[in-house]
Amino acid sequence: MLVITRRPGERICLGDQITVTVLEVSGSSVRLGIDAPADVPVYRHEIWLAIKEENAAAALAPASSVPTDIPPN
Amino acid sequence: MFINSTRFGQLEIRDDSIIVFPEGLIGLGGTRYALVARDDRSVFFWLHSIDDPSLALPVTKPWPFFSDYEVKLSDDDAATLQLESPEQAEIFCVVRAADQLGDFTINLRGPIVIHGESRLGRQVINEVGGYGVREPLFARVPLSEVRPATPAAPVAATGV
Repeated sequence: MLVITRRPGERICLGDQITVTVLEVSGSSVRLGIDAPADVPVYRHEIWLAIKEENAAAALAPASSVPTDIPPN
Repeated sequence: MFINSTRFGQLEIRDDSIIVFPEGLIGLGGTRYALVARDDRSVFFWLHSIDDPSLALPVTKPWPFFSDYEVKLSDDDAATLQLESPEQAEIFCVVRAADQLGDFTINLRGPIVIHGESRLGRQVINEVGGYGVREPLFARVPLSEVRPATPAAPVAATGV
């Protein structure tokens, strides 16, 4: 893991196409500006992790576990 | 093409039913998937990996269960999916099955969006807030209206 110190207004580059700018530091919060191509998904980690866990759990289901259908009304 | 699904045995996948997820699903590998179901009237589908015969997730369209569900895509998601109008988008949500139907949950926070014509797909974060990743699936539709699957149910690949 790389640990670096940045001040508001300073940036880091992830490769050629992704730039992260420290916009504001306020107490224990940091506001970041992320400039990335549209096809690079950017997620808050906890949301990404929660969805990843749901996908992994859903993928454990055996074929017999899911109902075939709901009858039409 | 045919895949040898660990769940369903040999499945024929029509070329026009292949969905490409350039970034995969969140946390899961592979970029090519297909929706498979018993028939095209099914409420539940399996989003089945073509690259990994053991990888498949149960999914459903959310509206039979949540008639007022709303999805808003970020501009980046819409651009990546090449969506020009909402009508082009097919929305599915991942279902987490359980031993008891009452314990099934659905991920309304991270829906799967598929361009109905280009078959390009992406799992997105719904910009409409307030939806969880593990919402009770049968909170509104009574269990008595759901028929359980028989393990030997034939499954055929279909389009959306």
